[in-house]
Amino acid sequence: MLGVLAAVAPGFFGPANLRDILTGNAPVLVAAIGMTLVILARHIDISIGSQFAICGVAAGLLAKAGLPIPLAGLGAVATGALLGALNGWLVAGLGLPSIVVTLATMVMLREGLRWATEGVWVQDLPPGFQWLGLGQDAGRLAIPIVALAVFVLFAWGLRYVAAGRAVYATGSDAEAARLAGIRPRRVVFGVFVAMGALTGLAALLTAIQFIDVQTNAGVGLELRVIAAVVVGGTAISGGRGRLAGTLLGVALLGLVGPALTFLGTEAYWDRALQGLIILVAVAADAFERRPSGAVRG
Amino acid sequence: MAEPSGRAFLTHEHVLAVLVIGETALFAALGSHFLSAGNAAEVARASVEIGLLALALTPVIVTGGIDLSVGSLLGLSAVVMGAAFRDHGVPIGAAALLAVAVGAAGGGLNAALIARLRLPPLIVTLGTFSLFRGLAEGLTGGIQNYSDFPERFLFLGQGRFGPLPAQVLVLAGAAVLVGLLLHRMAIGRSLRAIGYSPEGARYAGIPVGRRLLLVYLLSGVAAGLSAVIYVARLGQAKADAGTGFELTAITAVVLGGTSIFGGSGTVHGTLLGLLALALLQNGLRLSDQPAELAGILTGVLLLGAIGARSLLSERKRG
Repeated sequence: MLGVLAAVAPGFFGPANLRDILTGNAPVLVAAIGMTLVILARHIDISIGSQFAICGVAAGLLAKAGLPIPLAGLGAVATGALLGALNGWLVAGLGLPSIVVTLATMVMLREGLRWATEGVWVQDLPPGFQWLGLGQDAGRLAIPIVALAVFVLFAWGLRYVAAGRAVYATGSDAEAARLAGIRPRRVVFGVFVAMGALTGLAALLTAIQFIDVQTNAGVGLELRVIAAVVVGGTAISGGRGRLAGTLLGVALLGLVGPALTFLGTEAYWDRALQGLIILVAVAADAFERRPSGAVRG
Repeated sequence: MAEPSGRAFLTHEHVLAVLVIGETALFAALGSHFLSAGNAAEVARASVEIGLLALALTPVIVTGGIDLSVGSLLGLSAVVMGAAFRDHGVPIGAAALLAVAVGAAGGGLNAALIARLRLPPLIVTLGTFSLFRGLAEGLTGGIQNYSDFPERFLFLGQGRFGPLPAQVLVLAGAAVLVGLLLHRMAIGRSLRAIGYSPEGARYAGIPVGRRLLLVYLLSGVAAGLSAVIYVARLGQAKADAGTGFELTAITAVVLGGTSIFGGSGTVHGTLLGLLALALLQNGLRLSDQPAELAGILTGVLLLGAIGARSLLSERKRG
């Protein structure tokens, strides 16, 4: 795909275009890292789009209230962690199915936010908020660097830290993990908290790119992020997958839209192609692993 | 897990029925026009499209599967129907049939990937969720809005038979059909068996693949039918038709007591769940409460329903 692009539309690889793609997809990568953890632990979180909106608004409001910008950013991450803890408590503490829990919190958080803000965007942000006061050029560079740093940290942690291994063990077989001395409930709770915190960071990295904070941000983010994780080869049935795959998944899905534009196709086909990529990716994965196919995940 | 209803003294459906009665009493006290034939017809009319999707999703979820693509498929079917009628001179009846056929084809794609290739339903329908919506957006260039449908077609969405909105008959027919399938035919038992344990069902001689093909195909057909009624009610077809419907429909099914893990669920439960959601939205609007409250309370209801359910089943096991 990249080869065809290079031949047909060399402008695609221009520094300006690549930079836009990088800044645009850095927040998606950060959220996708969290989602990889959740799916590895054999759960799912479809409330992150709503969490994303709340955390962005929280960052904006805290900054407006006069808090120093780094503290406001930390506030966004903490808000996310708190919302993740709510999901984690419902899933790990009460033992409710994660897909139903996060379906409910998705609706509740989104509607709650709309009620509280009445749909009004957060405007008149302090001057240091946009691009973290670094200026546009440095800010644009900082966003992908932060995302990449988070990626390296988690990729390393999943492999070499006991907590990371515990995520895999819990997702493969929670009962066996328990017998091996891991506490699956704690792992699941922790994974949801991490998901929330990373969503908060993603919201922050997005919010600082614009003058206002939109209150309706992040609609559909959950499906986009889950798609990237699955395309990256993480099994929806848990316990199997790598963050490097997620990075590729985010890159692949993130390149589709801009590539279509550069090839002269209308951008309206973007979603259709993304859907096709997901289907092809899972079908290819299934053919590779025949004949042992799971009936459901 | 299997068949908690029927023997238990207090079933999920009883609790839901009490909830529905409570809602009715509350909103009758709060709002001025809540308890009127006109409003009852309005509630029924507005819930048919979601209702069709929820009915078709009940067997899907009973098998332990899920179909996230129904809302997108509704949009695609609506757009194809609009384009066929306005731009290609297809008569409206044939265009409506075409919409159902598109639904069947979309459902068939899900069915083939899930039943034949044995891919996880969550991921397959997440993919087709994007694919169908994307096709609808691509076909319309994101802006086309088909309208000017003939009066006799709009009757299906806006007319009445006596006191009954026309489309309610379609919903009633669908409820009877799915009810027969799930509760009166051997197929219904086999669907529960699959949801309870696909491997076990296969050893018991149930053609698991063929049964799964059937439920996902039905789900697609329901999306196509739902699209026809949606277009007839609103008088227009756009690429964003039915956005988010899948989540409301799934909420109705789970609220109605169908286990998200499969193995149990009833059609009357789903209808009660649907009614509870519809009354909540309508009642809050009529008593001048903010629209957002409906969404928040829906979430609370959903969490309460599964929380109570998991408590009940734990006690039974213990």
